Amino acid sequence: MVRAFQNHWRRWVNRRIPQSDSQRLVQRNIFILPTGAGVVFAFLLFIMLLTGINYQNSLIYLLTFLLGALFVAAMHQTHNNLVGLELTLIRAGEGFAGENIPFTVRANSANRDAAAIAFSNGSASLEYRDVSAGESVDVVVHVNSTSRGYLGLERLRIGTRFPFGLLEAWSWMRPAAHGVVYPRPIMPPAIGFPGDQGDESSASLVDEGHDHADVRPWRMGDLTQRVLWKRFARTGEMVIADWQGEQGSTQWIDYAMFPGVDQELRLSYLAALVLERVRLGQVYGLRLPGVVIDPDEGAYHQARCLRALAVFGKDAPDSGKPPQTNDRETA
Amino acid sequence: MTQAVVNIPGRALIWLIASFGVLILPQLARLPIWLIAACIVLAGWRWLAQTGRVRLPGRILRTMVMLAVVAVYVATVKGNFSVDTAASFFVLAVGLKWLETRASRDFYVLFFILIYLAAVNFLFEQGIVWTLLNLLGVVCLLVGLQVLNAPGLSGAIMAGWKRLAVMLLKTLPVVVVLFLFFPRMAPLWSVPLVSDRGVTGISDTMTPGSISNLAQSSKRAFRVTFGGQVPAQRDRYWRGLVLDQFDGETWAQQTVPGYQRPGRIALDGGIGDLAANEYDVLLDASNQRWAFALDNSEAVSNNVFATPENLFVFQRPADTTVRYRLAKVPERRDSVPVPLSAEQRRQYLQLPADGNPRARALAGQLAKNSASAREFLVAVLYRFRKDEYFYTLKPPQMPENGIDSLLFDIKRGFCAHYAGATTFLLRAAGIPARVVVGYQGGENGVGGEYLIVRQYDAHAWVEAWLPELGWVRVDPTAAISPARIESGLREAMADEGSFLENDWISPQRYGDVALVQWASLQMDRINYNWQRWVVGYQGQSQMDLMSRLPGGLGMRELGYLSAGLVGFALLVAGLITVWRQHTGGSGDPRLRLVYRWHRLLEYSGMVVQPGETPDQLAHRAGQQYPEARKPLEAFARAVNNHYYGDTGSARRVPSHDIARMKRLLSLLRKHLRRSGGRQSQKR
Repeated sequence: MVRAFQNHWRRWVNRRIPQSDSQRLVQRNIFILPTGAGVVFAFLLFIMLLTGINYQNSLIYLLTFLLGALFVAAMHQTHNNLVGLELTLIRAGEGFAGENIPFTVRANSANRDAAAIAFSNGSASLEYRDVSAGESVDVVVHVNSTSRGYLGLERLRIGTRFPFGLLEAWSWMRPAAHGVVYPRPIMPPAIGFPGDQGDESSASLVDEGHDHADVRPWRMGDLTQRVLWKRFARTGEMVIADWQGEQGSTQWIDYAMFPGVDQELRLSYLAALVLERVRLGQVYGLRLPGVVIDPDEGAYHQARCLRALAVFGKDAPDSGKPPQTNDRETA
Repeated sequence: MTQAVVNIPGRALIWLIASFGVLILPQLARLPIWLIAACIVLAGWRWLAQTGRVRLPGRILRTMVMLAVVAVYVATVKGNFSVDTAASFFVLAVGLKWLETRASRDFYVLFFILIYLAAVNFLFEQGIVWTLLNLLGVVCLLVGLQVLNAPGLSGAIMAGWKRLAVMLLKTLPVVVVLFLFFPRMAPLWSVPLVSDRGVTGISDTMTPGSISNLAQSSKRAFRVTFGGQVPAQRDRYWRGLVLDQFDGETWAQQTVPGYQRPGRIALDGGIGDLAANEYDVLLDASNQRWAFALDNSEAVSNNVFATPENLFVFQRPADTTVRYRLAKVPERRDSVPVPLSAEQRRQYLQLPADGNPRARALAGQLAKNSASAREFLVAVLYRFRKDEYFYTLKPPQMPENGIDSLLFDIKRGFCAHYAGATTFLLRAAGIPARVVVGYQGGENGVGGEYLIVRQYDAHAWVEAWLPELGWVRVDPTAAISPARIESGLREAMADEGSFLENDWISPQRYGDVALVQWASLQMDRINYNWQRWVVGYQGQSQMDLMSRLPGGLGMRELGYLSAGLVGFALLVAGLITVWRQHTGGSGDPRLRLVYRWHRLLEYSGMVVQPGETPDQLAHRAGQQYPEARKPLEAFARAVNNHYYGDTGSARRVPSHDIARMKRLLSLLRKHLRRSGGRQSQKR
């Protein structure tokens, strides 16, 4: 019964508040109810009115009416505290499963101050912020992730009890963009089982790579680490050791490396291998059924690989694309 | 209530403590000193803990403190229950709560208690200064709440005051309307305010010293407004009660009023303009049942009742300020009064069996020389006038045979001495007589609109029964010190210098300093009007006001009316909010028009993208509604011209382009409606 009502209420609220990465709080999406203190206050006013009636005391009537009117005025004040607040999800975070994934929301208020706004995601993480008129404030809300895949900030609750704490106005934001949760990295138990050709040679790889690398002139966009500085010092030529292609075969991180292992675990292994390669400063590529990411290195490449592992086999959420802001951020 | 304010911000706490300090002031007089000290210590402790200098007590210490304070309380109260002990308990609870004010929840508990304390204060003190003080306390609380709820906000306190002031101003009309129209119902049940705090005022017994004590107080007793002429000073005898039993030292009442069911005094003190012979008395709380009246009065308002002695009483003790109305009636001297019954004669001739032999002898001697009761009276007064009797606030003690020593040895006394002695002489001579206690005189309020009667106007005089006239007033004080009756105690005591000599702060003491006198009277006038029109706005006065409005409103209609008015006010406030939002809350008329433009386009099914320029939007809309392209583009141009165009151009008249934009909008609306209609036809 209660659950049915809750579901009904939830559906009703969802109809009123569409999924969107930016939301302007207006009267139709703000809700307001007295808090516990507000209910007690209303009861106190009733008692005071009784006292006034019983002792025929005009001044108690006056005080009661004054506080009652202030209560109503506070209702408007609390409501107006939220009105006009504009919220934009500016960054949906990424992280490994089990971590708290940060979502950054920018709040700005065009023409009035919004004091003591509480941002919360469920009952956990509460952030209090004051948003002055014409300024914007970034709030980071963490969402706990359990498994890899897309992770949405399902509902961000924006509440305020200002000024008196007797009433609470609140609204929800339902961002459409999703964060990405990488598989929890788990080191594969045994090193050197079939398919993993990378590990035994990994210690000597760096040297080897340099020896057998094709040498080509520096091009715009090449990483400075890959410039052969020794040769530059000797000859003044900026050349790059280009080991793409030749060493590719040894550097692939392949879905087929762990046959028979459960898919999720396999992805966790791959994630751990990616991190391992990054740690060792190696160049690597990723091969998943249907997805091939050519060997490369760097933060963007790492994120791309991890993201591919994260969303492997997952349908993109309704809203479509994962947030583009990430790419810009990590590129 | 999941607010995660773990501790209370100090800036909020200081307002809570300040409010406590303010709201406790009206209670100070009824609180024991140890309790005040305990409250100061406990609140100070809490504040020091806030600043980090001491720690808040743990559970054990807290319990010990609590038990100790409660034990002291129980020991001092000793089981008598009155309003004062209840008030102390209230204050005690607040004081103890300081030690466990840790979270915002505790803040709210204190907030509620203190708000109610403000209401309770109004039960005892209703003067304008006290009212303002109480409101100040409440406002401090509300500022504290704002700080509590926005601890990070800079300048929160100033902003809090400002916000509160704006809120109060906005709600003021509703408050006034509610105050005027909310039906003043009769009390649902009656609880008397039992106070054991002595109220300065005349009591129902009279010892020779009792009235001279009163004469040291400048506290106000009551105020009177006359419908017609204000009577002359010498005629202002305010009769309070009659004392007819003498035990050799004390005068008392023989008939003690019977037991009263606990209840409240009726506060409806008559309505409408005063007739020429009527007068309206606003009596300060006296905790006594008697009302004060001039000779030959009759009750007009129905909260006072006449007694056989032609005095007036309330049904219940006046535990709060009460207003009543009386009328003077012409003295009936034509008919012979109804003779006293045998029992009454016994009552008014009662004397102790012995004592004061010289006074008895004097009475016998004077009676022998007088042909009638009247002549006897004249003889007594003549003796007082002719002999060296003195009127003084500081007579010596006269423990044994007081009347004898007064009449023959010491010859100095205050009104109570002379009234008692005169009654004694009359009774000893066989003339029925009684002591009347009340007030004599009264000071003019500002502009002579009303009289202020103070405790130092307390007076005692004598009434004697003459068969042909009935009860007549005899005032021995008038014979000894005419100045007391003609111009008041201040003049009578001018030589002695004893007027209010112990009351340093009383403005009346400095009555000869014009400025002090003026300020004190102005203050009294404000307070008097406040008491009459605001505090005294009760059932009958409300009905009176309402009966002057067209339509004859009863209690029920008033209920509907106030509900309707409040509903209306809520509706208006709601509409203003909605309207403000729809107009974008902007004071810029052009911006409002732009918002209207957006809404118009949204109505016809377009989505206005954030960050779209007017030109882009107009272009997009123009593609969808080609026939509306012209007004769309013209409007966008007008917007651009205003916001980004050449502002220096003197030829542009602002109001002109607003009008033009409005015209374009209505044109656009027409177009859109036409094309919208066509679209729906297609579907």
